[in-house]
Amino acid sequence: MSFNLLPIAPEIFLLTMACIILLVDAYLSDESRDLSYQLVQGTLLGTTSLLWLTFPTQKTFILSSLVVIDPMGALLKLFIVATVFVVFVYSRNYLKARNFFKGEYFVLGLLATLGMMTMVSAHNLLIIYLGLELLSLSLYAMVAMHRDSSQATEAAMKYFILGAIASGMLLYGMSILYGVTGSLDLSVIAQKTAQLDGNKTFFAFGLVFLMVGLAFKFGAVPFHMWVPDVYQGAPTSVTMFISTAPKLAAFAMLMRLLIEGLPAMQAEWQQMLVILSVLSMAVGNIIAIVQSNIKRMLAYSTISHVGFLLLGVLTATQTGYAAAMFYTIVYALMGLGGFGMIVLLSRAGFEAENVVDFKGLNERSPWYAFIMLILMLSMAGVPPMLGFWAKLSVLMEAVHTGYLWLALVGVILSVIGAYYYLRIIWMMYFEKPLDNEPIVTTPDMQVALSANGLIILGLGMFPQALMMACVGSIG
Amino acid sequence: MTIEKLIFYFFATVLVFAAVRVITARNPVHAALFLVLAFFSAAATWLLLQAEFLAIVLVLVYVGAVMVLFLFVVMMLDINIAKLREGFIRYLSVGILVGLLILVEMVLVVRTMTAPVLTAAPVSAVPNIEAIGQVLYSIYIYPFELAAVILLVAMVAAIALTMRSPRQHKYINPSLQVNVRRADRIRLVNLPAEPKD
Amino acid sequence: MIVLSDYLILSAVLFCISMAGIFINRKNLIVLLMCIELMLLAVNMNFVAFSHFNNDITGQIFVFFILTVAAAESAIGLAILVVLFRNRATINVADLDSMKG
Repeated sequence: MSFNLLPIAPEIFLLTMACIILLVDAYLSDESRDLSYQLVQGTLLGTTSLLWLTFPTQKTFILSSLVVIDPMGALLKLFIVATVFVVFVYSRNYLKARNFFKGEYFVLGLLATLGMMTMVSAHNLLIIYLGLELLSLSLYAMVAMHRDSSQATEAAMKYFILGAIASGMLLYGMSILYGVTGSLDLSVIAQKTAQLDGNKTFFAFGLVFLMVGLAFKFGAVPFHMWVPDVYQGAPTSVTMFISTAPKLAAFAMLMRLLIEGLPAMQAEWQQMLVILSVLSMAVGNIIAIVQSNIKRMLAYSTISHVGFLLLGVLTATQTGYAAAMFYTIVYALMGLGGFGMIVLLSRAGFEAENVVDFKGLNERSPWYAFIMLILMLSMAGVPPMLGFWAKLSVLMEAVHTGYLWLALVGVILSVIGAYYYLRIIWMMYFEKPLDNEPIVTTPDMQVALSANGLIILGLGMFPQALMMACVGSIG
Repeated sequence: MTIEKLIFYFFATVLVFAAVRVITARNPVHAALFLVLAFFSAAATWLLLQAEFLAIVLVLVYVGAVMVLFLFVVMMLDINIAKLREGFIRYLSVGILVGLLILVEMVLVVRTMTAPVLTAAPVSAVPNIEAIGQVLYSIYIYPFELAAVILLVAMVAAIALTMRSPRQHKYINPSLQVNVRRADRIRLVNLPAEPKD
Repeated sequence: MIVLSDYLILSAVLFCISMAGIFINRKNLIVLLMCIELMLLAVNMNFVAFSHFNNDITGQIFVFFILTVAAAESAIGLAILVVLFRNRATINVADLDSMKG
């Protein structure tokens, strides 16, 4: 029995380093804790370069075909690792100011990243489940990490209970897939379901459970109850983590399960996705308007973005998947910037959690107000920004595949949704600031946040490159 | 009705009864103990399917470790039971309604899943444990490693969340205690006798 | 002879009891955690039964991993519960309402 371990070298490197950092950190004093941070960031950079070096040109199955290595997976993994890197850059000062700048926090973050990478390249129900749990368990712990904050622990508990129920649902669905097809391998499942004639009832029944579990993990309406509470209650650095990278992994999970595993059930899952997509776009955009807490507002904004993402997947065409993937990556970039701004305005003893905390930002710092302007315009989907192209490509696909009504609903709802983004812009530029404390930050954060905003602007001018990368990796 | 079927129905009944008691028990300790009973009966039904290894693991891991952890936490936290029961009756009707609704639907669908004709379950050449071991350490080595990482996460998380740093406690170095000599602790003083008045 | 549907129905019953339990015990976190364990037991029952009747060992492997993950999950769940209890001195879900919107 021989193993070809080279394609999963990035994962092996990440895990090894996580264990080393865990050990090193135990011997560090609080003053020299920065060393763990640097090691963690070095690990992520190393993983990125390994991913780059092992970038596959075609689809291969390794480790008894439990794992699939393909360009889509590799591209998503690259973005996941990069996102986590930026999240950690943004979180450093935030964590230090709140006294939970700990090695374990970063190690859990690395292991969550490992879980996401596992999910992305899974070709077996068992691997999907294990990757998902590795991610979720690390996230539950990270939310609760600020253990003196009763709000954070409360959010962790809610996240845990609902996440565990979702896993149970997902597993029940998986057990039925296994029962009908007799295999956990996605290719075999696809093959067997294609031969399944007539009595699909039992199988569709399993699919329902599977979809409920997926919708829970995505935070799609009507299984979204946990999203706003967790986003608000968790420390902002963790909210930033939860809302960005795992969405990329969840997208991959959706692709693996539905498109690779269940193409024969397309008619059934398309209908379910239509419902989830419409409801998410509607609830997300409309309820966000009345939020006064910006983390809650961004939570509902995430829900609406998930609706758009599902819109791309439900078209069930190659270009539709590419559009959805493009949307997910763009969303991750915007989410990073949005939560990065909240972290920037927060300081020890003060959380810039309310929408009104953004009042008069232009007077306090014209540059950051400009970055926030780019982010908000992009989230709203205003033309020159990256978010516009993401929305456009998904909506175009919906129109091409005959979902004209769905595209129209999407357009109307995103116009409604634009209101709450524009409200923040209004507050930044035309109202007096509520607090006049100078914004203190570090050079790395300044560079990262500025780059984040400018990338959204720059890629908005030239979206072709990223779009082509997505199309190329899916096809 | 074969003896096997009789055994199955006996343990299935106990399992369902125990499960119902878990969700309705007044005291969390009782709920935990009924859950132990549920796991034992489930293990028995698995034995009927010749899944000996899993049956044993269920008892060892769940009853031996997880449930002890549950009981430990229940006892450690001083829980006000009366307060937890508030609204129980209110939710009871909803819960039963929802449960029954899902049950009827599920049973209707599940019954359509006819068993693949397998009147006499094949007794495989290798024992159950050996069959699992053969694939677990070859084909499934990758998930096996992942499971190890998940356990590591659980360990790191549980320690990071609940451990109080030792600096908050009073701490004595045992080697210093052992190395103490008489001269360090006792000082002999000569006091002149005082006259009693 | 015991047939597959016997086990599937037993598993469905268990699953529904756990769902009902989640509804009924909305206020009691520790029993909520036990309901999740019951739900996983129902899933495991399905897998073991399918594994036996499909004459395929893979299902049992999956159960083995579910058991492992469930143990890790309950360890983390109870750790969060303990931290929550230290902060709030309650495990009553109704008291967990600091976030509304």
